[in-house]
Amino acid sequence: MSTLPKALSEQDADFQQSNASRRQRMSVWFYGLCVAIALISVVVLVVLLVSIWVQGQSRLTADLLMNSHSELDIERSGMWPAIIGSLFVCGVCALVALPLGVGTAVFLEEFKPKAKPLRWLHGFVQLNIANLAGVPSIVYGLLGLTVFVYMFNIFGQIKVNESSGWELMGANHKYQVLSLETGNVVFVPQTDPDQRQITIDQPVQGMDAAGDPIEIEVWQPGTPKPTDPAVRRRTVRSGAIGATVTEKSWYYFRLPLDKSFLAGGLTLALVILPIIIIASQESLRGVSPSLREASMGLGATTWQTVRDVSLPAALPGIMTGSILAMGRAIGEAAPILVVLGAAVAKNAGPQNLMDNAVTMPVLIYNWAGRQQDEFKELAAAAIIVLLVILLLLNSAAIIIRHKVQQSQS
Amino acid sequence: MALPKALQNRDFRSTRVGMISERIIVVLLGLCALITVLITIGIIYMLVTQSAGFFRSDFVSLRGFLTDKEWTALQSQDLAKAQFGILPLLSGTLRVTLIAMLIALPLGLITAIYLSEFASSKIRSWLKPTLEVIAGVPTVVLGYFAILVISPSLQWASGGAFSTFNATSAGIAVGILCLPMVCSLSEDAMRAVPRSLREGAYGLGCTPFETSVKVVVPAALSGIVSAFLLAFSRAIGETMVVALAAGTLPTLTADPTRQAQTMTGFIVEMIKSESEYGTVQYFSLYAVAVSLFLITFAMTLLGQIVRRRFQESYQ
Repeated sequence: MSTLPKALSEQDADFQQSNASRRQRMSVWFYGLCVAIALISVVVLVVLLVSIWVQGQSRLTADLLMNSHSELDIERSGMWPAIIGSLFVCGVCALVALPLGVGTAVFLEEFKPKAKPLRWLHGFVQLNIANLAGVPSIVYGLLGLTVFVYMFNIFGQIKVNESSGWELMGANHKYQVLSLETGNVVFVPQTDPDQRQITIDQPVQGMDAAGDPIEIEVWQPGTPKPTDPAVRRRTVRSGAIGATVTEKSWYYFRLPLDKSFLAGGLTLALVILPIIIIASQESLRGVSPSLREASMGLGATTWQTVRDVSLPAALPGIMTGSILAMGRAIGEAAPILVVLGAAVAKNAGPQNLMDNAVTMPVLIYNWAGRQQDEFKELAAAAIIVLLVILLLLNSAAIIIRHKVQQSQS
Repeated sequence: MALPKALQNRDFRSTRVGMISERIIVVLLGLCALITVLITIGIIYMLVTQSAGFFRSDFVSLRGFLTDKEWTALQSQDLAKAQFGILPLLSGTLRVTLIAMLIALPLGLITAIYLSEFASSKIRSWLKPTLEVIAGVPTVVLGYFAILVISPSLQWASGGAFSTFNATSAGIAVGILCLPMVCSLSEDAMRAVPRSLREGAYGLGCTPFETSVKVVVPAALSGIVSAFLLAFSRAIGETMVVALAAGTLPTLTADPTRQAQTMTGFIVEMIKSESEYGTVQYFSLYAVAVSLFLITFAMTLLGQIVRRRFQESYQ
């Protein structure tokens, strides 16, 4: 006699029925839970955007875009220097990170070595990039602070209001001396970089405020003062003391970089480099191998294949990835805060390569952390501006992706 | 017999120039790749040399750093009385991270299950961009959201039990930040599970719930776990949210309603105080950064190993 399987012999049809409907109910409940939880993310985004809009919409004025931060006139504070600062910092970041990132991705994807030790090295670089992507951005900030801002103090320590380190170009030191005409100064070129002061007791060659060369006369106290204003303008009292002033051209450059927007941009480049590399690699991997093989078969070298076949085919993906990475760079506050410091009182964008800068996220951080309600509203308004900029960038990425999908299908 | 036209025109370029320029380009590209290695070396060198300046100081010992229960690098004026024990900062970081994970892991995983198993393509085309937008929101904005909305609502809901700056509001904001990351990585892992497994489960009479939870999730477990680890390391390294919303007082407690200065929060606070280069307080930055780096590095490495070692491949 054949026996029924245990499962069938023990349980009756009613039990089977109720068990099945229980499982069905469970499944429906789970589906409901999934929908509810998936909705949470939508709700969160809506609440986030609405609350910030409500808080900041009253401050979205021309003042916000045109003015600079002010402690005294909070009502009219603005973010113009921060917008320019972000532009400069992210510009440097893009100039450094894009070629480096795409170059690394090309090397890793297109020039795969055949020898065993080199293959091992290849894998190591790959693993290293994955790890770099996981390093917190604030650690990159500290790296920037040590390597770019102070450069391990190899070039001497930077002191406030003192030119130090290695000034490589663009700096013009001169002594500023008061002339007899009130409110007028003349300049004497500085020859010895260590001498911070001079005393004038005999006529020297100098220049006026406009930079034209003049002969500086000396007036001995006790003798009659010259009366002609033109002469008075280029005459100084004997024993007058001149202190160094530094005129910096836009290409003023020195080492270490100090808290300059250049250092900030380089640090940001480190932060987004892994992102760009990974995105470019994915994109290059997506290029069909048959394209490469065809190119190779026509006798092109590897580099010619990369330049004329793989890179153009992968370009849309690389551009999308790079734009998203730049969006990350614009919104990144922590490394910039560490490298450039938390000060936000700045009236204009950077004046020379070594000038400090404020960026939008740092300004938002500063405003958001203050007690006054005006600043909190300003922070919300600045966030709206930042989000609009990010939105524009992201839609550019989406449009590129869309165009490519159309042209490929 | 006449030669073919292409060969008549005997203007062949030497391949030597091409070979050399090819070599140069390979070397240049290799240098680019080398820079990424240099960055890692730079990070490690910086952390070691600079934190050595901290541990060499007479006021600090490695033992005290690891076991002392107070961190008063910024609060105390007198260096001799300053306490450098990492535990309060670590506890702050862990509190915030734990709360963030309580938010991000379940929500992210279930959203991922929904996206990969249930959602129609129309809902996907709405939900995915929403998540991408959340992922693209700058962290400083989420920090502002935490002090603008989350913290007041917590205070209102609890009747004032929460202090203005607290670990919970920062944790929730960090959780929101990590959610899209958990979701997209887990979804990728689940989409890689072949259709035949699902069809097998349905054929055996499984409900959609049983198919997704008992078949698809276990099959994608390595990817999901590595997503969790990456999110964890991201939450630990998150800076701006905690700098704005978690407060500036290092506390060694498990109470999520109180202030909690985290390791990253301390670094920001220290930078804002603009202490002089070379002081013990300045070097303490790097000691904290070393701890931070080691934890996140271990997490990322573990995530990589889990993904590679335990990845199930279906042919």
